[in-house]
Amino acid sequence: MKRIALIALLLLMLPAGAGATATAKSFTSLIYDPGKLKPIDSTLKIAPGDKAPDFTLRSVKGDTVTLSSYRHKQNVVISFVPAAWTPVCSDQWPGYNIAKTFFTKHDAVLLGITVDNIPTLHAWTQQMGELWFDVLSDFWPHGAVAESYGVLRSDGTSERALIFIDREGMINSVHISDINIRPSLETVVAGLENLDKGR
Amino acid sequence: MKRLVFLLLPILSVLSLVLPAFSADAPAEKETLPQISLPVPDSEEYRAYLGLKQAPGETFTVNDIDADVLLIELFSMYCPFCQEEAENVNALFETMYDFSKPEFSVKLIGLGANNSAFEVDHFRNTYGVRFPLFPDQDMSMYNALGGKGTPGFIACKKEADSSCTIIHRQSGGFHQPDEFFKELLNKSGYNQ
Repeated sequence: MKRIALIALLLLMLPAGAGATATAKSFTSLIYDPGKLKPIDSTLKIAPGDKAPDFTLRSVKGDTVTLSSYRHKQNVVISFVPAAWTPVCSDQWPGYNIAKTFFTKHDAVLLGITVDNIPTLHAWTQQMGELWFDVLSDFWPHGAVAESYGVLRSDGTSERALIFIDREGMINSVHISDINIRPSLETVVAGLENLDKGR
Repeated sequence: MKRLVFLLLPILSVLSLVLPAFSADAPAEKETLPQISLPVPDSEEYRAYLGLKQAPGETFTVNDIDADVLLIELFSMYCPFCQEEAENVNALFETMYDFSKPEFSVKLIGLGANNSAFEVDHFRNTYGVRFPLFPDQDMSMYNALGGKGTPGFIACKKEADSSCTIIHRQSGGFHQPDEFFKELLNKSGYNQ
């Protein structure tokens, strides 16, 4: 009887071994696809040369981040993405996660902002590995920071926007993408390089 | 003995249902790799690795690659799972490289889905990738190959007429380079 039990046990262990090379992570199943959206659905309230609207937002790491705390210290890049758990957004920041070298080269910090709440952002960013930059929640008052920059869409999400702010806290350049398309890494690098021009 | 058979039958029945769910996709019928066209790399090292006769500025097809077994990785610089898998893929490449000989070679290329050349270069530099990577910005190659997420892997075996028969498809990482390499060899029919 012991032998039978042993054989049965070995057979039950078989699938784990047989599937060892094929345990594909089902990450795509977690993503909600909203379909094709209106490319841009807001009116920008800032322009190069303007003072960047200040804000203090909660970070996924647990602390708060104030934009003006970087004034006279570092350049800042704000990456607004529309919503957690959506297709394009979910693979934008993981790309930036391996692009730290470009930000360091131009003495810039990256702040990722969405209008999602902290628990949602926590769960979502956990899927991206350990992010080197702060992810901030513009959840409440809902989208207030996005609204102050003019990137809050009519459905309460934000645009897919990159805001480049110099050390003096002034807007250097702005890139609003078609919400359905991820801005290229070249766009990020060009914005960073532009921060150093005229210094 | 009857008791043994009686006990094992239901277990084997359950296993027959469960095992396919743990397997990577295996083409049911003979499926030939689509003729995707790629730019000839500027790097002489890459051209030598791929065994290309064409010059930079020209294009080549996957059938031109001098390999008995070709593995294509579908990746994206932006995909965290591709980043996580990069070390394993590099290890797999080294295993393939060390194993390959003129009589039988297994080679690897990567296609950066929805990635620009700049983004592919950044991925290559970040992870020290030694095998050729190509941008597939409009995802035409990804779509032609039937990609289903990244990372993804498609392996084919070169036939006498230079066509390449698909022997393995997989969505998601393989995590264990040596095991995966053995699996590819087995599916290629390579006699060790």
